Amino acid sequence: MQISEMLASSIRMCLPVLLAALGATYSEKSGVVNIGLEGMMISGAFWGATCSYYAGPYLGLAGAILAGMIFATVHAVTSVTFRVNQIVSGVALNTLAYGATRFAATTIFKMATTTPGVPRLPAVDIPVLSSIEWLEPVAKSLSPVIILAFLLVPVTKLVLERTVFGLRLRAAGENPLAADTVGVNISAMRYAGVIISGAFAGLAGGYLSIEHTGMFVEGMTQGTGFIGMAAMIFGNWQPVGAMLASLLFGLAEGISLNVESQIIPYQFIKMIPYVLTIAVLASATHRATPPAASGVPYARGGE
Amino acid sequence: MRHSRALRLLGIVTPLAAIVFAGLIGSVVIAMAGKSPLAVYKTMVLFSLTRFDSIALILFRCTPLLISAIAVSIGFRANLFNIGVEGQYFIGSFCAAWVGFSLRGLPAIIHLPLAACAAMLGGVIWALVPALLRVRRGAHEVITTIMMNSVAFSMVHWLIYVFLDVEQTTVPGMGSVRMRTPLVLATAKMPTMHSLLNPLLAPLGLEVPRHVYLNYFFPAAIALAFLVNYFIHRTPLGLEIRAVGHNPDAAETQGIDPNSVRLKAFLLSAAVAGLVGLSDLLTYFGYLDIDFPKGYGFTGIAVALLGKNNPVGMILSAFLMSFLRRGAEGAQVLEGVPMDTAAILEGVMILAIVVASSVFTRYARAWQKREARAHADQ
Repeated sequence: MQISEMLASSIRMCLPVLLAALGATYSEKSGVVNIGLEGMMISGAFWGATCSYYAGPYLGLAGAILAGMIFATVHAVTSVTFRVNQIVSGVALNTLAYGATRFAATTIFKMATTTPGVPRLPAVDIPVLSSIEWLEPVAKSLSPVIILAFLLVPVTKLVLERTVFGLRLRAAGENPLAADTVGVNISAMRYAGVIISGAFAGLAGGYLSIEHTGMFVEGMTQGTGFIGMAAMIFGNWQPVGAMLASLLFGLAEGISLNVESQIIPYQFIKMIPYVLTIAVLASATHRATPPAASGVPYARGGE
Repeated sequence: MRHSRALRLLGIVTPLAAIVFAGLIGSVVIAMAGKSPLAVYKTMVLFSLTRFDSIALILFRCTPLLISAIAVSIGFRANLFNIGVEGQYFIGSFCAAWVGFSLRGLPAIIHLPLAACAAMLGGVIWALVPALLRVRRGAHEVITTIMMNSVAFSMVHWLIYVFLDVEQTTVPGMGSVRMRTPLVLATAKMPTMHSLLNPLLAPLGLEVPRHVYLNYFFPAAIALAFLVNYFIHRTPLGLEIRAVGHNPDAAETQGIDPNSVRLKAFLLSAAVAGLVGLSDLLTYFGYLDIDFPKGYGFTGIAVALLGKNNPVGMILSAFLMSFLRRGAEGAQVLEGVPMDTAAILEGVMILAIVVASSVFTRYARAWQKREARAHADQ
């Protein structure tokens, strides 16, 4: 087994995690915990495959993103406008998305668990790198979504740290009262954060069904939304950290699938992201620095 | 006084309004699938409530949901969100199965309670890390318990593989196909209620069908709901739990250590959570495999919210949830509507109930303020 091939499969594995983690970063930075990512990803995967089946892969990905955003809007309405417990809202959304997806799959395709095979995007090569023989598996015939996702890491960092929008978004999650006093619209910022996270989760689902598998299969997300949250925490609420954490988790998965030896049972490899995340939370609370007001609803006048 | 009674009435009306709202959204979804909502709902009600096997099945399926809701509600009382019931009952179920298949020669009167204790212990062990992290490090229990849930699934899969029953696993001519633990011994199994109920029901011409595994965990769960309620409202620790849940700072000035109370409440919640899988494990399946029912932990959150942590409320909500599922099964067979309608209704219902109670609480608070001001002016 070549190392570069293992790296290539790790990158493919980590991609949905990376996208979910980036999405979660936007939401958390704005002050809203989004554990509905898993559900948004499931709907993205199904509607992505469905749209791709009927209208081609580009509209498929658009459909996936839209589906994620629609569910995210529900989360924003309940947790920002009505200020309900964000965890409860997320749990309900996961249930709702699971049920709605199966309902739609049964109604549209007469099968509850899969869609037919769907077309995917044309693969691309990375110009210079793909000519190096050693890097061929990593750089040749890639899904464009992979390149897009890795481009979104610096973009996210830039948006959050170098734009007015990013500053206001972070202010809404760090100290909403102070931000409100200087005229930042907290609700608008939090809606934006949640809906962007839905778009990312939808894209992650679309990648899984359209690009990775070529069809929708029930249960294909396998808790990826939760691993994405774990990657975000492990990466200390930073886009670059989230990327490194996703790569680490993907590498663990890639190794376990490629290495034949059964020294460590597969089930223990699956635990790695979760155990590492708990370890991070346990070892040093000084290092883990979530946005101060993340998870706390904001009401004007301190009601 | 008149107003406080009106408020209490509103408190009962909010869950009902949420149920009606979910029904309306469900109608839209059913209509979009090209069916008549009224006909579907009618089938759901008739299929669930006019067939005795449906009623017995609803009671059977109610048990894990109710136990899970009780576990979640203990956390809620202390303002803790135990979203880890899911993982705790997986580990608890494995521990019970382990005691059930490995300890031989015990009489049923010892073996069965021992299996139940093992389940509670398993739940507690699984909650220990998140509970301690919350208390010592302030790490939010929601994140840590979600992580522990995923670890629990992998752990149980591995344990099943370790304790694999070779005799059962190999089907002649097919190789090894069934990944499951050895069967739980008869002494650790919970008997069904048939021998008690059927003589009583016979004069009415009714009979609990043999394929419905309604067992004594059902009355035990009902009793547990009231027992926990008594504990929360009538014992010193229960009072401390409520005090910490309401206002930890005020509790601390009264000499209560909030973190010690949180730890106790968390572990108590986890002990109850360990029992969630037993009705399925020790009566119906008799073994643990990778298809053991998932999701009771999450539905338990819905049941606790809808029932407002109140024993009667939670019992009714657990009935409602299992009624919805049974009804949806009927609608699938008879009306051709996917049974996932139940999950959609469930999701919308949770959202509607939390939105309604948030709006209601705000309204009630404004009302009380106005009253107090009027009093002060007099």
